[in-house]
Amino acid sequence: MSRAPRAAVAVGVVVVVAALPLYLESFWLQTALFSMGAIVAAIGLTLLVGIAGQLSLAHAFFVAVGAYGYAFLAGTEAAGEDGPAGLGLPPLLALVGAVALAGVAGALFSPISGRVRGIYLGLASLGLVFLGQHVLQNATSVTGGYEGVAVEPFGLAGFGFSDSDPDLTIFDVPYGRLERLWYLGAVLVALAVWYGRNLVRSRPGRALATVRDGEIAAAVHGIDVVRYKAAAFTVSSMYAGLGGVLTALAFGRIVPESFGFLLSIDFLVMVVIGGAGSVGGAAAGAVFVTALPLVLNHYSGSLPLLAEPGGGGIGASEASRFVYGAAIVAVLLFARDGLSGLVRRSQSREVKESLI
Amino acid sequence: MTQFLSLAVGGLFLGAIYALVALGFVTIFRATGVINFAQGSVLLVGAYLIGRLHDPIGFWPAVLVAIAAAALISLLVDALLIRRVRAADLGTLAILTLGVDILLSTEMTREIGTDVIGVGAPWGADVVELAGIRVPASRVIAGAVALVLVAALAAAVKLTDWGVAMRSAAEDGETAGLMGIRLNRVAAGAWALAGVLAAIGGLFLASFPAAGVTPGLGLVALAAIPAVVLGGFDSPGGAVVGGLIIGVVSVLCAGYQDELSFLGRGIGTVAPYVVMLLVLLVRPSGLFGTRELTRV
Amino acid sequence: MSRRWYAITTVVLALAVGACGKGSDDGGDSSGGVKTGPGTTADTITLGYLPDLSGVFAPNGKSMMEGAKLYWDAKNEAGGICGRKVELKTQDTGYDPQKAVAAYQQISGDVVGLGLVLGSSITSALLPSVKQEDMFLNFAGWTSDILPNENVAIAGTTYDIEAINAIDFLMREHGLKAGGTVGHLYFEGDYGENALQGSKYAADKHDLKIVEQKITPADTDMTGAVAAFRRAGVKAILFSAAPPQAASLAGVATSQKLDVPIVANGPGWTPQLLTTPAAGALAKRYYVVSSMAPLNDESEGVQKFLAAYEQAYPKGTPSSNGSLYAYAGAQIADAALTKACENKDLTRKGVLDALHSLTALDTGGTIAGKLDFSDPSQPPSRLVYTARVRKDAPGGLAVIGEPGTSDDAESYQFGGS
Repeated sequence: MSRAPRAAVAVGVVVVVAALPLYLESFWLQTALFSMGAIVAAIGLTLLVGIAGQLSLAHAFFVAVGAYGYAFLAGTEAAGEDGPAGLGLPPLLALVGAVALAGVAGALFSPISGRVRGIYLGLASLGLVFLGQHVLQNATSVTGGYEGVAVEPFGLAGFGFSDSDPDLTIFDVPYGRLERLWYLGAVLVALAVWYGRNLVRSRPGRALATVRDGEIAAAVHGIDVVRYKAAAFTVSSMYAGLGGVLTALAFGRIVPESFGFLLSIDFLVMVVIGGAGSVGGAAAGAVFVTALPLVLNHYSGSLPLLAEPGGGGIGASEASRFVYGAAIVAVLLFARDGLSGLVRRSQSREVKESLI
Repeated sequence: MTQFLSLAVGGLFLGAIYALVALGFVTIFRATGVINFAQGSVLLVGAYLIGRLHDPIGFWPAVLVAIAAAALISLLVDALLIRRVRAADLGTLAILTLGVDILLSTEMTREIGTDVIGVGAPWGADVVELAGIRVPASRVIAGAVALVLVAALAAAVKLTDWGVAMRSAAEDGETAGLMGIRLNRVAAGAWALAGVLAAIGGLFLASFPAAGVTPGLGLVALAAIPAVVLGGFDSPGGAVVGGLIIGVVSVLCAGYQDELSFLGRGIGTVAPYVVMLLVLLVRPSGLFGTRELTRV
Repeated sequence: MSRRWYAITTVVLALAVGACGKGSDDGGDSSGGVKTGPGTTADTITLGYLPDLSGVFAPNGKSMMEGAKLYWDAKNEAGGICGRKVELKTQDTGYDPQKAVAAYQQISGDVVGLGLVLGSSITSALLPSVKQEDMFLNFAGWTSDILPNENVAIAGTTYDIEAINAIDFLMREHGLKAGGTVGHLYFEGDYGENALQGSKYAADKHDLKIVEQKITPADTDMTGAVAAFRRAGVKAILFSAAPPQAASLAGVATSQKLDVPIVANGPGWTPQLLTTPAAGALAKRYYVVSSMAPLNDESEGVQKFLAAYEQAYPKGTPSSNGSLYAYAGAQIADAALTKACENKDLTRKGVLDALHSLTALDTGGTIAGKLDFSDPSQPPSRLVYTARVRKDAPGGLAVIGEPGTSDDAESYQFGGS
């Protein structure tokens, strides 16, 4: 495909993304923000599962480290008032710090990830999630315990990302917290996708793929398997941490329950549905898993069959769980390597057809 | 001292139930290489059926129906879904079973609703006294049943044709197939067996001293996962040992909560996972799992 | 990615952009001399309801919606509030903070206040926005951790006050003496830990020792806890968890010959418990302390509720902390809205101010005592009902005596957490 039309389309996409907050209502912005956090984190997991071949159920733990890390680093409350004390760092610094913290946590897990393999690693990582829940609930002075902790709004060089700091109106539309966060989210997602794609094609990426396909063979080729596995966990948890920060900002206040076992499973579903190892697939899976229940709930009034909340019958939430479960089964039955596999196969069919 | 003994004994009996559930996981994994996330909701279905049917048709018929239904559901999951994608990788298969689990548990939650459904066991809330320690009768019976089942299974695997077939399929599926072993039959048998174990486990988990069948029962199968991992995923003996360990650990931690409060409250839930991690640090394939020896 | 994908993406985006236009703001204007704002017009008042209808607390949530509908249907038939019909916008939160936030975003623009929000983690997640929008929030929970708060209305008193009164009840009626030991079985989280604050305070005052046992909703077997209680020689047990745990506790305690009274907070009871094998044990030794009335109470409000419920839902089961709670919550919302209308100000701020101006709201007995919402740092009441389990009473609970409170409960200071 030639340069010029490609550039034009890219510009078009950027313009549309930049203009969307002018049109989207707060429900859609909120849903989109949650999805963006999920996309960033899911990319990390697909790199770990698909490229490095490490099954991990601990992703929610690293997301929590990022979210709570940001809340702690950026928090400005004095201890004991409205929750635990924070360090009051500038938000951008807190964001970087939180991502670094998550990376460190991932690196610390490497004694286990180095020695334990395959299915044992996957289920061992589950232990991290439960440990994390325990710490979040009990380390009240840092995490606020079950009450959770308020998340300091983001800010860049004095420009606050909350509803009125400063007041901002563009084209007659008041730009509040959600509108402003949209841009942060879009930038972070773009960065995550770009970096992820590059990583897959780079030398380290190919080394990781070799490790995935056969640790013994990789070691024979001189690849330091333990170091690469540790590095994979570190990178993947940094992604998770970044996703956690974005999710925390989207919430405004975080509680331990949001980062439990169910979230880890959700991430694994996102990755498998999208196709392990595919960055685009992870993004698609993330949007599907995150947005489906919210959207179905949104339309529960107008869809037939679905009972209004408060009535009997199948409510929107139950329906969305059914659709979710059915979709997982359907995608995996008919597209074993996920949505990205479907796309790849249809593309190669195109190529084949064009060659005939 | 009696307090410790009483808790430990109670934990052992609870562990026997966990052992049954863990055995279900291991059976499926050995035969078909799948982590069956749907085990929990099959457990729930079994317990639910007993709860709803024991009134109209009597307790023992209800148990039989529940066991049959659980075996059937499990078998269908394998026959209709897993069989089509046998060659897929571990993660895909696991998530596929997760999809089934979501479907089943959502429907079960809808059916159970507010109710706390009693299972109507004939031993009710009876308590037995063993050397000065009071243990619920249901737990003693659970222990006895578990013992019999484990022994029977061990014997079957060693001595019957099906057992031999399963072991060879677990060792090397391709060769076994070439030697004429019907892999699909072996798989079906394993999945059905896991369903039976799940239903029985569900019955005892919902009996006294628990209140009855609640939607949360499916999550208890989750508690069996540390047992499976630390015992070794492909070792039935490991599953039993793992189950017992986890049972004792959780009851002791819950009972000694006060003394252990410096570790934070509520460590009964997280202790099994910590034990699992510690075991894995020392034995990366669990206590009895087949160790991969690789030196390069 | 191929050119085709880019084209499709752009087209889809364009369609989406075209379809979801940003709604225009409902500016404040006047209708008939009464200032209105978002959620109020000349003929309607819209309230938001955010129950859990599919998650952990779905049974409670569904029961609550029955009670809410009961109240507002009757009110609308009687003419509504100052000539306006009350409409409900309900969204299921699934007890998931993410869903709750999205659901809130969906309805927040159209409602004057939140008639019901179930769950304190949900409420916590929504508080920043609710505060900003000046909305009132009827909190379907009774934890004092949420105080002080300008926007939140609690229907009665809080778990810690309930626990203090529970200890007082045990000392008055069940021979609990200074120096004794009391067990407290409680849920991790705002509910249990808030109750624990109360029991610790009362224990301090009366030289009692509290043996704590923290559990989670996933724990269904109370053997370990009962063993610990027995070892410590407890004379009574306080219970701040959910019905399944109650049944297990009562059954195990009886089987282990720990025959002590068990006193529970409001959420620890549901009539369904009478169908479990533990029913006998519960009838013998289980009590409930709560500001929500037991359904056999003779007061006017409760009887009116019961009659209306039985007519509207002949096959349903009324419950004190489900349908009765939402009914009472609607009473509070009704009082605030009516007052606001009298003040000619039906904006969100106006309704919030009207709520705070209520100092002696009488719910006819559905909530114990007269409610005073003027101090955002205090719950509106410190009175509780005490009830015992009785199989033939509606809702399974029979009231003991009159609603009251102890001196300790009166003097208790809320310190936040």
